[in-house]
Amino acid sequence: MRDGIEVARRGTAAVALVTETFWLQGDAVAASAGMPDIPRLRLPHPVAGSGQEAMARVAAELASRIVAVLRGDAAPDNESVPA
Amino acid sequence: MTELLEAADESEALEFLHANDCTDGLPVVIPTAERVARLVLATGLDADLDLGEMGPGGGAATIEKVATNAVMAGCLPDYMPVVVAAVRALLQPSFDLGEMQATTHSTSPLMIVNGPVTRHCDISGSFGALGPGHRANASIGRAVRLCMMNIGNARPGVSDMALLGHPGKFSFCLAEDEAMSPWESLARSMGADPDESTVTILGAEAPHSVVFTNDADDADSPHRLLRALAAVIANTGSNNANFSGGAVAVALNPEHAQVLADTGLSRGDVCVELQRLAVNTRGAIRSVSTGFIPAGEADDVIPAVRAPSDIVLFVAGGSGLYSAVFPSWAAGAHRNSVVTETVVTGEACELPWAVPGTGPSD
Repeated sequence: MRDGIEVARRGTAAVALVTETFWLQGDAVAASAGMPDIPRLRLPHPVAGSGQEAMARVAAELASRIVAVLRGDAAPDNESVPA
Repeated sequence: MTELLEAADESEALEFLHANDCTDGLPVVIPTAERVARLVLATGLDADLDLGEMGPGGGAATIEKVATNAVMAGCLPDYMPVVVAAVRALLQPSFDLGEMQATTHSTSPLMIVNGPVTRHCDISGSFGALGPGHRANASIGRAVRLCMMNIGNARPGVSDMALLGHPGKFSFCLAEDEAMSPWESLARSMGADPDESTVTILGAEAPHSVVFTNDADDADSPHRLLRALAAVIANTGSNNANFSGGAVAVALNPEHAQVLADTGLSRGDVCVELQRLAVNTRGAIRSVSTGFIPAGEADDVIPAVRAPSDIVLFVAGGSGLYSAVFPSWAAGAHRNSVVTETVVTGEACELPWAVPGTGPSD
């Protein structure tokens, strides 16, 4: 989450990847950093340790959405949270 | 009936309670007669019903006294059946409460709540369940602790001789996260009915963290998790390792529980494996302490837990890298055994307006 915020602060298009278990924390971090609208995409949980096949499947499902959000062609998963 | 004290206002009453060692050091809700009466009513039991003698001081744990401490702890009326069940559990002779309260060891009753009452009272078993921010967890656990101090007369350095104590001596209560568990509940595994609520207590140290990250591509990964948990259970500095026995609680986070369940292991299977793996050699223990394990063959295997049933395995905490092991005192006449009590909710009679001064129009 912080990585995405730092990238966005440098003026580069960014999308933060947040697992569903930590989704609320993502909202909290975005709000506390003053960037409540930073784009976020929701991943299943857990990703780490789930195995190469499972991680490849997540990547395959997400990659095109990440690019689309970065290009501004698709909406992220987040709704704006109060700053 | 309990003697009524008088004070000019709540501030003066609070200072009086602090000055007379009736608090845990934090501010309490002043137990006025009306507030206590309301919580007594919520138990559905007579105020002078004596649940038993609470050690080490031997005070009578009447419903009124339990309710008084529950008021001070900040309990809502709906919490009272859980508090009463926990006090009943403490008073079971097999729990050795008087001895446990007086020991120099760092131990406090860990309260694990199961069943419908966890949802009714919003007792958390998820993120930070043993930390701040959960009203039911904090106040139910605190009520029991205040009972132990004020009814059992456990005073630090006088009758509670814990050398350091631990934060669970303020409050140490959580629910099992049954919704996130891949197994039947802890209570069901101990014979409870599906709609039965229970409190299971164990005199336990503070949680010892166990870090583990899964690798789903490695068939040995679940076994690494078992070995990691067993290594912390068998920590050669623990009472369990040195006394070779006593109970241990293990809180698996949902992710870790799923890793084990996915291999086909039941809750009972996991306990069997942990008991088998949580061992030291006589030499390993005596290399750090010679006070408890007698001399003998250095290669002798010394179990930290004597039976799988001595491992209280439950699912709690947020999903992630960390589970926890709670070693126990492992001493006393019954070796600090585990006790479970049913939470009786059918007797409750919460009619706030029946108590003068607490109704909606007051």
